[in-house]
Amino acid sequence: MIMRPATPEEIKRFYREEWNKKDLPDFITHTLSLREFGFDLDGSGPSHRYNQFLTLEQLEEFLRVRAPYSAYASVALYENPRKREGWLKADLVFDIDAKDLPVKPCGCPKGQVCYKCIEQAKQVALEFADVLRRDLGFRQIVFVYSGRGFHIRVLDEFAMRLEHNERQQLVSYVTGAVVPTDLSLALGYSKVFRERAAKLLRLMNEEKLREVVKRRAFKNLLRFKDQIVQYLLEGRVDDILSLEGIGAGTLEALLTGLARINSEFTDGKVTVDTKRILRLPSSLHSGVSRKCMVIKNLDSFTPDDAVPRFLLEAGGKDAQH
Amino acid sequence: MGGLVLLPEYAAVLNPFSEEGRKIASNAPPFEQMPEETIKTAIERIKWSGREAIVEPTAQSIEREIHSFYLMCQSLAAVCHPYSAETQYARESVKKVLKYRLYDLFRKGEGEFCLKTIGRALNLLPLEEFIKQRKELPESDYYRLRDLRMKKDGVEEVDPHLLQQFLPKWAVKWTDVGIVFKHNRANLTDFYLIDGWMILTLRDLWDLYAELIGDQTEEYIQTVYERMTDRGKPERLVKIGEQIARQIPKTVERLPGVRGVAGKLNPEYFPPCIHNVLRGVGSGLRNFAIVMLLTPFLSYARIAPSGKRGDKISDFIQNISVITEEIVPIIMKAAERCNPPLFSDQPQEKANIFYHMGFGMTIAPRLQDAGRSKWYMVPNCAKIQAVAPPLCQPDELCKKIKNPLTYYFRKKAEALRRRSQ
Repeated sequence: MIMRPATPEEIKRFYREEWNKKDLPDFITHTLSLREFGFDLDGSGPSHRYNQFLTLEQLEEFLRVRAPYSAYASVALYENPRKREGWLKADLVFDIDAKDLPVKPCGCPKGQVCYKCIEQAKQVALEFADVLRRDLGFRQIVFVYSGRGFHIRVLDEFAMRLEHNERQQLVSYVTGAVVPTDLSLALGYSKVFRERAAKLLRLMNEEKLREVVKRRAFKNLLRFKDQIVQYLLEGRVDDILSLEGIGAGTLEALLTGLARINSEFTDGKVTVDTKRILRLPSSLHSGVSRKCMVIKNLDSFTPDDAVPRFLLEAGGKDAQH
Repeated sequence: MGGLVLLPEYAAVLNPFSEEGRKIASNAPPFEQMPEETIKTAIERIKWSGREAIVEPTAQSIEREIHSFYLMCQSLAAVCHPYSAETQYARESVKKVLKYRLYDLFRKGEGEFCLKTIGRALNLLPLEEFIKQRKELPESDYYRLRDLRMKKDGVEEVDPHLLQQFLPKWAVKWTDVGIVFKHNRANLTDFYLIDGWMILTLRDLWDLYAELIGDQTEEYIQTVYERMTDRGKPERLVKIGEQIARQIPKTVERLPGVRGVAGKLNPEYFPPCIHNVLRGVGSGLRNFAIVMLLTPFLSYARIAPSGKRGDKISDFIQNISVITEEIVPIIMKAAERCNPPLFSDQPQEKANIFYHMGFGMTIAPRLQDAGRSKWYMVPNCAKIQAVAPPLCQPDELCKKIKNPLTYYFRKKAEALRRRSQ
């Protein structure tokens, strides 16, 4: 289904006919009056900030009357959201934007999205969530389709109390942004890094590989790429080093480069910003004409599940992006 | 078994913030009646490095220990700001003392008592219990964790008795020691985590627990400092605090690899990320780029506080014009080049600039205000890369350094060397 900007009339129609307060997730409705709401009224940016809604009906009325280009709610809960004062806690969020993925096998240029990029972003979201559960012990994990990617929202009480630095450390952990001191441990961060680095290396084309290693080493890396991926997954560092032309320096450059690119799979500043506003689930992403929505089963989700009625009726079904 | 008879109150010696510790502290006499011996201990304890840290298991010794600890913290809060070198020194001293005591008590067969005390500050599960309740630990990882800890301590062989300290034996919830990560004293990626629990050797546990109490001490000093800022500083505490501060070496912590020379800013030596910020950035990056990166970078680069961090700007400059005439105009220009210009829709961020240089939330900084907030350090390259990837376009020199400030000083030093040749 085509992804294209919605017209002002379509946005109005969406909020008048399709948007329903019942589509707001519990984590928003239960904390509605404690969140700051922000709006981009005309597509020029979210400059209408510092709004508070005490009831769902107030929010409903605002959306129906103003039909904003974009609607946002803070990840933070405040005593006084109108002034962003009295910070209480904040959802822990990981933003995986398909348009900004550092490696895209589909060939889409950075800044653009297709269904394949979105599928890739979905896989990244599933993998991140797995680490959040398996290693870090989080339980209340919600996936939100944002229109061009996914938000992972962690709502465990202890996650919401985390501050800037702890969140920063979680980004490094979940994305595999640091080369571990030991690559051979079967579980823990060693495994997280190996899996993320191996997956990334498998996806990297010649051009991307050139970014991380020098020319001579690059040829050998390319030659043994599949073997390196396998050895890396199994933590067999000595076997990597036994490959012809792969020395300790090359391996170090490769691992450092992979760690750096790994960190780009999520927008770290979204996670560490405990006062950020984030697209409101149930609202319309007018840039691509998709509903921002909570996903119950991420495995089976496709962006076609989030197509607004106006686009369906416009008959865009065959106009593949 | 243990040769000592430890009173339950002895737990306060290992955790001054425990229930016992707070109870003893709340029964402290007023300053005027504080025994001279306690005051002397409060002044001297910051320099403890060995046996003098051991507390006899008597009610009187425990009381002196706790009263002197709190007196030291409160006195430091009366003379130093929470991010000062003195506070950092106190934190390190608390950690050192605590590790020494733990080691000593284990040696004397009082391990159970220590573990019980630690277990009251955080969820502590014996590894076998963790395995029963949650998940099996691969055998290869068990021995690998032992080897890694031995390697960390530079130990190749140990006798069977000591070996116990290097074996993974405990599981601790990582969120129970969240304060350690909040202060960036340890990296989450350095721990072996399963289902939210860190698997630790006894030595790891000592380190982590000492770090935890050290960070709690720092936060306690900060709380007292804020209270005193509102209500005034008792003169007696100020005098004791000055005596403590005099014992602390002037240079406490060096930023690795940075040996700066103060002087006019030279953009020629700025790293690529700073050039990117100076060109102006888009709306999602503005605050980080201008407030968190450019502001600390320019202030540290211009003032070059001998590699020390955490000190006040006023310790290094005599005239506020260095800030207002040399640093701020560059920041303002970069902010103006942002899209949209940073200060036009977020005027409050102007005060944030001075806040990050340690002057508190103000738009008219004065030298005497330095220390009202923390003088923020330049974030490391890894952080810039994670938080603002578009800013990070590394060149050859970037690959050899870990902080943009090191880049600046290295380039500057190279240029000076070339010139002198």
